[in-house]
Order: sequence, then C-alpha cells, then structure tokens
Amino acid sequence: MYNLVMKDLKLAINPLFFVLPVVLGALMLIPGWLYFIVLLYFCWITVPNIFGQFRAHNDLMFTSMMPVTKTDMVKARVLVIVILELMHMVPAVIFGIINLLLYPDLTYYFFGPYPGFWGLCLVMLGIFNVLFIPMYYKTAYKFGGAAFAGVTGAMVFATLAQWIGIQNSYVSDMFNGSGVHNAALQTSILIAGIVIFAAFTTIAYRIAAKRFHKVEIQ
Amino acid sequence: MLALDIRNLSKTYPNFQLKDVTFQLEKGYIMGFIGANGAGKTTTIKSMLNLIHTDSGEVRILGKNIAEHEIELKQEIGYAFGSIDFYTRSKIKTLTDVVKKFYANWDDEIYSYYLRRFKLDENKKIVELSTGMRVKYNLALALSHGPKLLILDEPTSGLDPIARDDLLDLFQSLVAEGEISILFSTHITSDLEKCADYITYIHNGRIINSAEKEEFIESYLLLNGSVSQLDPVKEQLISYKTNSFGFTGLIHAKDFDPSLNVKAARPTLEEIMIYFAKKEDMYV
Repeated sequence: MYNLVMKDLKLAINPLFFVLPVVLGALMLIPGWLYFIVLLYFCWITVPNIFGQFRAHNDLMFTSMMPVTKTDMVKARVLVIVILELMHMVPAVIFGIINLLLYPDLTYYFFGPYPGFWGLCLVMLGIFNVLFIPMYYKTAYKFGGAAFAGVTGAMVFATLAQWIGIQNSYVSDMFNGSGVHNAALQTSILIAGIVIFAAFTTIAYRIAAKRFHKVEIQ
Repeated sequence: MLALDIRNLSKTYPNFQLKDVTFQLEKGYIMGFIGANGAGKTTTIKSMLNLIHTDSGEVRILGKNIAEHEIELKQEIGYAFGSIDFYTRSKIKTLTDVVKKFYANWDDEIYSYYLRRFKLDENKKIVELSTGMRVKYNLALALSHGPKLLILDEPTSGLDPIARDDLLDLFQSLVAEGEISILFSTHITSDLEKCADYITYIHNGRIINSAEKEEFIESYLLLNGSVSQLDPVKEQLISYKTNSFGFTGLIHAKDFDPSLNVKAARPTLEEIMIYFAKKEDMYV
C-alpha cells in the first residue's frame, strides 16, 4: 500500500500539484472573498489534471501488473486524494489565520475563515469524494463524468451552504457573527465536518473497491 | 512439476470468444505461444494474470491457483507486454526505483547486469529509447526480481536480428538450470524454431494444438502436387492454395496416405499458421 502511494506521489503526480495548493491557499488573503472557491480549485484543476495523467501514462495497466491487490490499489488512490485534499486545506487554513490577523475589523459577507467554515469545506470535499471516487472506479480510467458529478455536488453544497449563511440570520450568526467567538460551537462544527468527510470518503472507498473488482484491465 | 497449467479457460466478448483454452508447460522449458493478430494470445495471457475475468476455467501457476494466490504468484512471475509504455517521460532510473520496491526478491546486481548487457543508460528517459530498447528495458525489469516463470507477450517484436538472437540465447540460458520456465507469445515463428521446446497454437480463440515442438511440426505435412492429385486429398486437407503448377496444402500427418504419391514435406510453423488461417477464409 505504501509503495502504491509513493508510486503516485513520486511518479504520477507532477510536482506542480504539490506547490499549487500553497499558491492557491494564498487566495485566502483576499479580504471578504467567497473562500469556498479556494478549495474548489482542487476539484476544478488538480483532480482532472492528475487523473488525466494517470490515463495518459497507462497507470492502470502498470499498477495492475505489480504484485498488489485491487483493493490496495483503490485504498492507495483514495489515500492519495485525501493527502492532496489536506495539502490544499492546510495552507488555506494557515492563510486563513493570517487573514484574520491582517483584517481584524473586516465584515465578512460570505463565510469568514473560522473553524466552522473549515468544517463546511470538509463536508464539501467529502461530497466530492463520495461522488467522484465510486463513479471513477466503474472503469478506473474515465474521469470526465465522475469529475463533473463530483464538482457539481461540491458546488451545489457550497452554494446552498453560502446562500443559507447569508439568508438565515441564525446560521449567519453561527459562522460570521457572535458564533465565531464560541470556541465550543466552532470546534464541534469542525469535528462534525471531519467526521462527515471521513465517513463519505470511507463509503466512497468501499463502493469503489467493490466496483473496481469487476473492472477488466485492458 | 507444471509451471503453468491452464484448463478450460473461456471468455465471451461481443465479437470474440476464447473457447476452452487448455495447455500445460513443464517447469524448465520454453513454450512458444503462437497465433495470428487477434487470435486470443493477449486475452489468454491477461486471463492467466487475472487482469481480465474469465467466464470459466482454471489457471494454476507453479502449482497454485492464480485466483487464490495472485499476489504471491505475481512476485514469482516476470512479465513483459512488448515494449514499455508507462510513464515514458520519466527516466529509467526513476521508474526502476518505483518498480523495485514492489518486489521482495529484487536484485540490484542482476538488474545492473542486464542494463549492461542490453546497453541501457539509466539516465535516459523511456521516450528516448527505441522500440527495441524499450523491450529490453521491460525484460530487464522482468528478470531482476528472480522470477520462476516469465510471461512475455511479443518480446522480440521490434528487435533487430542481432538483438533477437541475443535474446533467444538469453532465454535458453535462463531455462538451462531447470528452475525458470518461459511462455512467450509471438508471431515471429522463426524465433520459436530456434529456441522453443513446446508450441501452443491458438487460432480464433481455440487451441489448435499444444505439443512438444518437433511433435507439433511433425503432426502436419505440407503437400505439393499437380492439379490432378488435388481431388483425392482435397477432403483431408486443412486448406490449400492452387497455382498454375498445381497445389500446395497442409494436412494432418495422420490423414496422409503415402500411396497417393503426392510430395510431402515438413512444414514450417509459419506455414502451419498460414494454412490454418486460410481454412477459415475457405468457409467464409
């Protein structure tokens, strides 16, 4: 499993995609922006590019010929996706903290970079995973439809969450108002986000592994 | 002991069917797996490696069922599907560093030996290698983790005659000690006449014959005769070609009647393949 993860990180993924999250994370410094977009770049840019590379390099055949199980192949790939998601998340959170320090008096129209917002981002990435990963593993090479479904799901969630965040004063207060100073509330939203992300990703892995066992390696 | 034991492998595609493929390879021998393009060689090999799902049948490698012992067996099988076309923009060194981690018995000394023997430069990118050099690199990878069975799909295609000859010598030296067995598919039948111990011939998804090479060739005869001699043997011929001098046709040796006085010669593997393919055309 470790070898499979290292294979993707060393061989398959262009180093650009390890640097890009840091650059994109810096977008968190734009005052009062729609910060969901920062993480959506993962779904828009990183995923189509790296999965296109897997296909172009005939990775499916290459990996299938190694002494590895199909289950491990899926597990490793899901882990790689999670690593990349966290690589996008961590710089974004750091730049988010810098944002809060830089603009202490800013009024956020959209969600501000508080812990509760990161919980919502994790739910968004979880939705992306649960749609993209199982759909991709129907063939293990066609990523277009799967990426489209994943991106749509993530964007619909982000739009709805943000719309409610603006329209509903209770939610708005929770994420941008007095709620941001309630550490217990913020932490519990973040933890709920982590739990939902982990649950969705695990479900995605289980369905994908089951589907991948039926795939013929051509 | 059998290195390879394939029994009743069947697989149906919309336009192609692998039917009851059965053959065995004894440990320590080279088997040539021949057939025209699209005859089912690669499909058989892929089924053997559990890459595609078969509808029925059993594959046992080194005495173990591949479906149950896939990982363990893949450590002991070296395979090369023609030239390498993975991560071609990477350097040989980078790709090898990734591949070797997967094999418990990887031997750097053997790998370096093959790099030298095949004159491969580790710092070159795969895309910079010629087709022949890519085949050699693929073989170097396949040979460096101590495989007991080598499954090679078209390993000699794209190689020049000198490199092919060198490779055939290498195959023979590998099996000499009796530990390693080789199954290699090809349509370059002259390679097999040089080095194979057994021949398995697949045509249209079915195994036509699988036997020791001499026995395989001797089970057919190539007949040469005048037009008037054609009629009495026509029914027994697998297929035949006619020209202004008469006919040439392939017959099962057991069906040949020497009293007919038709000139009979030993066919080459290529001729056997050609006449079997022609048989199909005759009934179309």
